[in-house]
Amino acid sequence: MLPEFFALLGIDVFLMLSLLSCLLDDRLPKAIPYVYQIGALVGYGHLLISKEFFVIFGEYMRFWYCFIYLLVALANIVAVNVYFAVARGQWGLAKIWSGAVTFPTIVISMFFVSNYTSVQEATLPLLTLQVGLVVSALVMGVSICLLLSPEAMRNAFRRERR
Amino acid sequence: MELREKLSKKPVKFLTLLLTAMIIATASAAMYYSLTMTSTIQVYAANVYFKVGTDNGTKGLVVTLGTKNTSATLTGLRAYPNATFTYTNPVRVRNNGTSNAQVRLAPSLNPSDAVAANFVYVKFLLNATAVGDRRWLNYTSNGASWTVPSASGWTTLAGSGTEWPIVIMTMANATATAGSTVTIGITVDVD
Repeated sequence: MLPEFFALLGIDVFLMLSLLSCLLDDRLPKAIPYVYQIGALVGYGHLLISKEFFVIFGEYMRFWYCFIYLLVALANIVAVNVYFAVARGQWGLAKIWSGAVTFPTIVISMFFVSNYTSVQEATLPLLTLQVGLVVSALVMGVSICLLLSPEAMRNAFRRERR
Repeated sequence: MELREKLSKKPVKFLTLLLTAMIIATASAAMYYSLTMTSTIQVYAANVYFKVGTDNGTKGLVVTLGTKNTSATLTGLRAYPNATFTYTNPVRVRNNGTSNAQVRLAPSLNPSDAVAANFVYVKFLLNATAVGDRRWLNYTSNGASWTVPSASGWTTLAGSGTEWPIVIMTMANATATAGSTVTIGITVDVD
């Protein structure tokens, strides 16, 4: 696996965000989907730079700028989650978003980063990655349970309406 | 309905974003694939290789060919004080391929200056049939150190089993110590 995989993952996260924010455009600023598309284009620029300077840039440097790009993409997902929960006060939507988008994305990202660091030279502390992976998996499991349990969901929404 | 109004409609906006997202995702994936593309290297039999010449076993010479005849070790070569000694056919270079090959002689292992006082020269000649195609590699000694030659020019060795001998000429210094030896490595580069 090349470090550019994280840039590719970041691009896909931005594109997913763009499409989801378009579907939720009545709850988010109108320009947000386009901003995320530009974010994805920036990732494409990352890949272009990597290709042109493949020999000059070491693997260490390539890993870090691709990883930081992925972190920025993940931070945007979390930011949208926080925006729904705090700025808009839509707790139901924030919970669904965290269960369906935030944590699955973070789990997938953690999985690939831990896989990369175990194969390549360990550039990140392995324990942090494993702990992060376990926590993310737990939260995702709970979220899926809540999502698949209509009673729990109905009760949660009822409490919110009150 | 105005175009702006049409574009602001959710399905149209979503489809536009979906289309551009697909383009970006495809281009990015293609870019990543181009970074991960691997080379496939196939092993071929060497068309140009060494053959033992008719001088082997004579004048103290022993020629040993390596695996697949791509290396040759010549031991027991003699050099006489103040006299040129020539091996006209110690080892041969053969092109068994169907097409021509560009070949040249180049230095590989340089002789030690510690024994330079005992030798005058050791010359290697890729003895092509045509005089103009012949290539030399001459190691000469001034008594204190060796002059290492640069690689010879390229020459064309025709295919279909064409063979050329590598002629070796030696001369020891008039005051050379008997039994003194020198080791020289050369390569036959093939392009």
